[in-house]
Amino acid sequence: MPEPVIASVGASTLGRTDLPGRDLFSVALAEAFDELPDPADIVEAVYVGNQSETYEHQIMQGTLLAEWAGLRHVPAERVEGCAAAGALALRHAVKDVRNGEHEAVLACGVEKMTSAGTSGATDALSAAFDRAIEQRSGITAPSQYALLAQRYLHETDATERDLAEIAVKNHGNAARNPRAQFPKEIDVATVLESDPVAPPLKLYDCAPVGDGAAAVLVTTAEMAADLDQPQVRVAGSGASANNIAVAERDMTDIAGARIAAETAYEEAGIDAEAVDIAEVHDAFTVCEALLAEAAGFAPTGTGYQSYQPPAERADGWTDVQLSPSGGLKARGHPIGATGLLQALEAYEQLTGAAGDRAVEDAETALLLNEGGVADAVTVGHVLTTAEAQ
Amino acid sequence: MTDGDLDASGSTMSDSDLDATDPRTLPGFFDALADGELLGGVCVDCGQVLLPPRPACYACGSRAVDVEPQSPEGQIFSYTEVHTPPPAFAADAPYTVAVVELADGGRLLGRVTADYADVTIGDAVELTVREPTATEREVALDYESDWPVHVFEPR
Repeated sequence: MPEPVIASVGASTLGRTDLPGRDLFSVALAEAFDELPDPADIVEAVYVGNQSETYEHQIMQGTLLAEWAGLRHVPAERVEGCAAAGALALRHAVKDVRNGEHEAVLACGVEKMTSAGTSGATDALSAAFDRAIEQRSGITAPSQYALLAQRYLHETDATERDLAEIAVKNHGNAARNPRAQFPKEIDVATVLESDPVAPPLKLYDCAPVGDGAAAVLVTTAEMAADLDQPQVRVAGSGASANNIAVAERDMTDIAGARIAAETAYEEAGIDAEAVDIAEVHDAFTVCEALLAEAAGFAPTGTGYQSYQPPAERADGWTDVQLSPSGGLKARGHPIGATGLLQALEAYEQLTGAAGDRAVEDAETALLLNEGGVADAVTVGHVLTTAEAQ
Repeated sequence: MTDGDLDASGSTMSDSDLDATDPRTLPGFFDALADGELLGGVCVDCGQVLLPPRPACYACGSRAVDVEPQSPEGQIFSYTEVHTPPPAFAADAPYTVAVVELADGGRLLGRVTADYADVTIGDAVELTVREPTATEREVALDYESDWPVHVFEPR
């Protein structure tokens, strides 16, 4: 089987922009293909991660973006899985290359979240929750994650201050990331004193609403070499759906994420200790704590120490660095593009293109991208340098 | 995935006649709830409680699911307060929402008729049912417009 690699990446500006979704995509694509032949010369299929048609009243994103890329008569489709749509698109591309169906596939994601203000985004995101019980009770994305956070604080030694420290750490990382929506440092007091959104979560515990697009070219090692592109191996890919209603899941053992990570590790032939950097789905600060545990980086109940230097964490923690991009919290979270922005960060880290935020000697990355609340669906990928085995 | 030993002899599927009176469908579940009865699916094979009832057990995959009345009494498992509501519920905010563990083992999310500051994990609550408000009917889909709304009250 051919081994899929990522051969190029690109992204639009993230945040509040004056560009519609398709134009954000054009910007991301232009960066990814800056030093490549035109997409029409190499791309054989397109997958588009996109959360909601409500932002722009537009479905058929596969058709639309393929056309805007200059591609015609190729398979092209939108992939839906709320905030996991981007990694699901990547996973489809990886599988197409791995099984030999295509030699070069474009995985991309786009979201125009600011089109209808915060209330429009709140409404669009609430569609990810069970309609019959959860939506009709008035639940929202922050309040869903607040239910997890409340439970996590109840069961562990973590405090609201620890969660705030995760936001501070991720803002610090974003301050060194020129792509970040919020490239600025913040302090703990700013988080703790910010407005309540859904207690115990406050405004600065929450990833922002923002626009953005990302494009990732998945191809074979041979083709990446022919294109003279730095390449990163996609050594493992796993996905797992769990119950749609959060009440029916274990709210602190994020089983779907654990299974997605373990599947990706198994395919890659590694264990959690081999992971140097991880981009996890920190849509809310508590997610980073929960996912550090689910990914096998931290013993149960200690994931909240992700903000601490490795030497100061509890026994049993690995040396992994979490969210070097600044994470969803500060890099930005344009829903359908997020999984691909995670891949973009890993590509830059593993090819020596991460500039000031480079994690020294990073060779192996884990990506965890979630959709719905927590692990309603999770996608995990293991990316490694071309040299790592 | 198949290795030749799959057969249908263990199948208990008999859902082809599911209709809107069956409590394993949402209309059937909400009809019973409107009469004050909370029905749950109970897996014959592993005992998992399913709220609302559905044709298959998520815990073990069995399709042998009984439907049984569930106790309306339970305890707060986790809770929060919504400050940034969806537009349809803007007039209600802030409001308290909780995951409640019911006495018969199922867990269900719903609103709580108490201030956030007065709620804590472990508090005893009871499920009650009311008719949808005019606002709730306005945002309901056609088939939802008569469905009751459940809320948890402190006990």
